[in-house]
Amino acid sequence: MDQTEARLRALMLAGLAGDAAAHRALLAELGRLLRRYYARRLGFGAPEAEDLVQETLIAVHTRRATYDPQQPFTAWAYAIARYKMIDHLRRMKVRPSSPLEEAGDLFTDGGAEDLVVKRDLDRVLAQVSARTGALIRDVKVEGLSTREAAEKHGLSETAVKVAVHRGLKALTSKFGGGRED
Amino acid sequence: MKTDDLIEKLSAGLEPASPWWVTRRILIGLGCGALFSALLMIVWLGVRPDLMDAMTGTMFWMKFGYTLACSAVLVAALIRVARPGGSMGSLAWALAAPFALVGGMALWRLANAEPVIRYGMLMGDSAEVCPWRIAVLSLPIFAGAVWALRGLAPTRLVLSGFVAGGCAGAMGAWIYAFHCNESAAAFVALWYTAGMAVVALLGALAGRRLLRW
Repeated sequence: MDQTEARLRALMLAGLAGDAAAHRALLAELGRLLRRYYARRLGFGAPEAEDLVQETLIAVHTRRATYDPQQPFTAWAYAIARYKMIDHLRRMKVRPSSPLEEAGDLFTDGGAEDLVVKRDLDRVLAQVSARTGALIRDVKVEGLSTREAAEKHGLSETAVKVAVHRGLKALTSKFGGGRED
Repeated sequence: MKTDDLIEKLSAGLEPASPWWVTRRILIGLGCGALFSALLMIVWLGVRPDLMDAMTGTMFWMKFGYTLACSAVLVAALIRVARPGGSMGSLAWALAAPFALVGGMALWRLANAEPVIRYGMLMGDSAEVCPWRIAVLSLPIFAGAVWALRGLAPTRLVLSGFVAGGCAGAMGAWIYAFHCNESAAAFVALWYTAGMAVVALLGALAGRRLLRW
């Protein structure tokens, strides 16, 4: 959390001074944090989560001059993220069913809940080859497109599709009791 | 649009941001509103004819100081609540000081006055119009504050509306003091405060609707 604060704050200050690369890096990292934050609050796979991520990034960008350098950056960014979510819930006329936690929520690695998922995922993916495991992780967990994964691993798109398909099939037969769907 | 493309678009041609942006925008909004409100006061009510004489007495300066002190604290509060996560903090206590001072002065004067004139001190000649005139004079300033806030990033909309309304009310009361010829501390403590409170309440009620961004 402290490291995140120091790193993001440095990027923000550079961006406020006009450094476009720092600003781009800041928005990219915030995008990742926000995606996870909204997914956890609204439910994984909620279609509006990505809209909220974009809306919040636009707000962070257009209203960046409201950041007071005397104050922690993470608190500022979290206040915007939280505001955008409450605004969204109010528009939808639903009340938040889970309490809205403090700033740490946006900037941690997800706590115990994510750690358990991550451990299980590691264990499952260890059953296939390292490369197939990495491909499945990129395409099915991180959300890269087939083409992005292909570029990242220096493979053809077809090779990525085949590897992911075979890997998943192998895992399904091993863990899913032979069920195929 | 994909998020990566959006980020690319936003960071292209980035301009440096001024650290004074928030303060400047708020002062512009309030300043334009106050100018309009002062013109309204001159055209509608008129500056009191005995202003020069009044300025030699303490009561004019009490009204002037009271409304200006409230305005100053609330402008500072407005600059705070205009930022994400901002709250009034210690300024809530600073705001209590002018109220306590004028309230204390009013009570002390009332306690030492002949019982028969107490009612007159409280009601003056204009008690039934004073708060409403202050509220009307505050509206242009409130509009300026809303304009400023909508371009900034308040995240507590009810509080922000309250502070914007209170600030407009205090500045409107300050402008009204150039017209009003009441000179009892009790009158100011009651009716000026009521005028400011009306606008602050209005701001709090309208905040969520007016200040969304």
